[in-house]
Amino acid sequence: MRGKGLIAAIAVAGVTVGLAACGGGGGSGGNSSNASGTVAKGGTYRMATQDFGFTGAFDPSAEYLGWAFDLYGNLLIRTLLSFNHTAGAPGNVLVPDLATSVPTPTNNGLTYTFKLKQGVKFGPPVNRAITSKDIAFAMQRIATPSVAAQYGFYYVPVIKGMAEFQAGKAKTISGIQTPDNQTIVFNLTRPTGDFLNLVALPASGPIPQEVGKCFTQAGAYGRDVIASGPYMIQGSDKVNISTCSSIKPMSGYNPTQRLSFVRNPNYDPATDSPKVREALPDSFVISIDTNAKDIFDKIGAGALEGSPDDPPADIISQYASNSSKKQFLKPNSADRTDFIYLNTTTPPFDDIHVRKAANFVMDKAALKLAWGGQIEGPVATHIVPSVMYKGGQFDPADYDPYPSPNNAGDVNAAKNEMKQSKYDSNKDGICDSSVCKQIFFMNRSVQAYPKMTPIIQSSLSKIGITLNPRELPTSPAYTQIQTPSKHIPIGANAGWGKDYPDPSTFLRTLFLGSNILPSGNTNYSLIGLTAGKAKQIGALYPAGGVPNVDAAIDKCTGETGDARNSCWIALDKQLMEQVVPWIPYQFRNNVDLIGAAVTKYDFDQSTGETGYAHVAVDPSKQSQ
Amino acid sequence: MGRYIIRRVLWVIVVMIVVTFLAFLVFYVLPSSKPENSFVGKAPTPELIAQVRKDLGLNHPAIVQYGLFVKRLFLGDKYGWPGLGFSYNTKSPIRDELISRFWVTFGLALGAAIIWLFLGILIGTISALRRRSALDRGAMGFALLGVSTPVFFLGILWLFVFWKTLHWIPGTGYVHLTSDPVGYFTHMISPWIVLALLFAAIYARVVRGNMLDVLSEDYIRTARAKGLTERRVVIKHALRAALTPVVTLFGLDFGILFGGAVVTEKVFNLPGLGNYILDAAFQLDIPVALAVTTVTALVVAIMSLLVDIAYAYLDPRVTDS
Repeated sequence: MRGKGLIAAIAVAGVTVGLAACGGGGGSGGNSSNASGTVAKGGTYRMATQDFGFTGAFDPSAEYLGWAFDLYGNLLIRTLLSFNHTAGAPGNVLVPDLATSVPTPTNNGLTYTFKLKQGVKFGPPVNRAITSKDIAFAMQRIATPSVAAQYGFYYVPVIKGMAEFQAGKAKTISGIQTPDNQTIVFNLTRPTGDFLNLVALPASGPIPQEVGKCFTQAGAYGRDVIASGPYMIQGSDKVNISTCSSIKPMSGYNPTQRLSFVRNPNYDPATDSPKVREALPDSFVISIDTNAKDIFDKIGAGALEGSPDDPPADIISQYASNSSKKQFLKPNSADRTDFIYLNTTTPPFDDIHVRKAANFVMDKAALKLAWGGQIEGPVATHIVPSVMYKGGQFDPADYDPYPSPNNAGDVNAAKNEMKQSKYDSNKDGICDSSVCKQIFFMNRSVQAYPKMTPIIQSSLSKIGITLNPRELPTSPAYTQIQTPSKHIPIGANAGWGKDYPDPSTFLRTLFLGSNILPSGNTNYSLIGLTAGKAKQIGALYPAGGVPNVDAAIDKCTGETGDARNSCWIALDKQLMEQVVPWIPYQFRNNVDLIGAAVTKYDFDQSTGETGYAHVAVDPSKQSQ
Repeated sequence: MGRYIIRRVLWVIVVMIVVTFLAFLVFYVLPSSKPENSFVGKAPTPELIAQVRKDLGLNHPAIVQYGLFVKRLFLGDKYGWPGLGFSYNTKSPIRDELISRFWVTFGLALGAAIIWLFLGILIGTISALRRRSALDRGAMGFALLGVSTPVFFLGILWLFVFWKTLHWIPGTGYVHLTSDPVGYFTHMISPWIVLALLFAAIYARVVRGNMLDVLSEDYIRTARAKGLTERRVVIKHALRAALTPVVTLFGLDFGILFGGAVVTEKVFNLPGLGNYILDAAFQLDIPVALAVTTVTALVVAIMSLLVDIAYAYLDPRVTDS
């Protein structure tokens, strides 16, 4: 998913919006209380952002912004399964929400049966019990082409009959049955080890058909989302749902100015767990403030409690260097990896020894400094952030196939690799081929990306590679690298974050050869490209071929439990050692700045954003 | 005079057609980014991309899209008249949002204009009357400072001093005039003053220069020789003549502010037209960018038309040319 503050794979130009729930490393800010007050219910938790940045106009069927996932899961929408909305590996563990328990699959991993809790009701103006049919309707909506569900690709090939429904060949999804109001059964096309994660995503949350049927276009439902969680959009109770034409937008949501949540009177805490949602403040208000400096000034002055936007580097350094202010900075792993991608179809990176040499020589410590140092997250040494693996650990924990003293690069090891390359004819460890000179290098023009350009240039020059950098705003830069016919050999403008806590959202989505597209492609290194597809999409295809891990990906996809975890770890290592598509350099943190009136803070690891389900505020400490 | 006005109105229509066409070219045909990429997720299928292009109306050829835009502009669309379509980002009609923001910017421009006209004319006149005095030098020093201080710097400095340090004013943001008149005034006074200082400085210099020219005219000497009071000479004869070019300047400046007060709106977090078009440009929300450009161009053209008509009224020779 895309997240606030971190730029996503397909981002909006020039705006600080991006892939949210991304990459690894540990943090230190989650699950904490400030010394500034006692934790109590009540008050308004006030936030501001420069731009909501919603990708699907806040329609849960289509929305793909990490921070929107956060608002849905913590405040607005309950799903069959959910997370505890807390920091670290425990926050990535699935727990029952609308369902009475986390089911075990039957029928050789093809059937999942969920029983719904009794007494869970929709908020106003629907005011009725949530049934299994409301979830089935949400699944139909995901498969409705005009709704443009942005992560529908996870569901359609997996749930039996969903593809036929999407193609208009069936009126219902044959793989979803609702034998009674409290039971829903999913039949899958293949064993899918991460299926349970799919019923924890907001698009799978219940939608009352009497309202949902009125919104058949992409994003249309976003201003009238019916609550099933502890809060509802302000003004929900004033909406007239007697006919489709009588439904007007809820007053609490103006997409360019304000989004307000108030308590849902139909929410019964007895049907929920305080570990999942404590729902302490009476309301949440998020305003648009177009002045980034003003937002963080207001947080500092106690006039706001937080922001989904990343604090600028100068604010972070101002707080990090002040012992009394440091407590207001909350860094946590955003489950995001920042990396330099290497295109395996273009010289000199079509040679694995060059890709390995580039990994050895890269000064990752300097790249980290460009981002702001340790507070922005640990150095990345593999693809998927460690916190996404079972227990929050990679195996081994200190894994680093390209070690160097202080992470500053190992020139000797790099030269030893380069010597084995076909592009080093005199075997002196320096690339002497013309293909190593003035290589086109793509980067973003927004900070901190430009700060990295000279570091990358300097590092690669030590093995004879010189770069011709081009820096573009976020969106155009992505458009370039997502088009394989552009033949971009190397770039540092991309990052990746998870959609849900499973390594498949990195390893399958990014490296499956069959996922390669002529435009909008996110397999930047073109791993698994075939000669036929290369011709079809206008990509290059080197004489020595391109590495392919499709079989390993398919094997891991079908695994469950510990075997699944081990499988993904092995594939992560295989990619780093035998394929080498990237130079990963940072498991990025999400850094929150909170106001003095916040008496309880938590971080939602599952979304990579603030855990609003567990925050609290002391109104007496708030200023205007 | 009637013919002249008709000619000017026709000219405004031509200008608007050219502006909308160029804006359409810039926003729809030239961008190197694909707006649909922002709405298809991380791993889009070709079908999803096609669906979103259709949803955004990008599936038609560019010239057809322009034709549809013009047609909706004149005939309206399902959201009312004029038809400005819907925002890519919010999937909401642009028309209502634009109207709401128009009044925010109008309030900003009007309040600032009152202040800058008052200050500019006052300072310019006093400087001209007290030429080379300490007052003149001080006033012109103020003008130089006002012209050369960027609004973003002045705005941030203003907030630092009066909000963060002295707590004399509320923080940034906008309060609706109808819901809380006092809140509206207290929130708008800062952007009014900051925006007005820039223009007041410019106007003070213009008024001073014009006044000095006019005061050296023979008819002023004659007026004084006839025994008119200095107050009457200055206000009735000199200032009136000196302000004529200011009318032209004011008409254009006021119109330009509808799209050009973006920095002030950004710094003071006002949901006006400037902010709207800037955010739209960054987010590739092309229909919004096009709609605001069209409205801004229309306001500038109308203000220019009014200035032309006013001039024609004051000086009938203009209509002959």
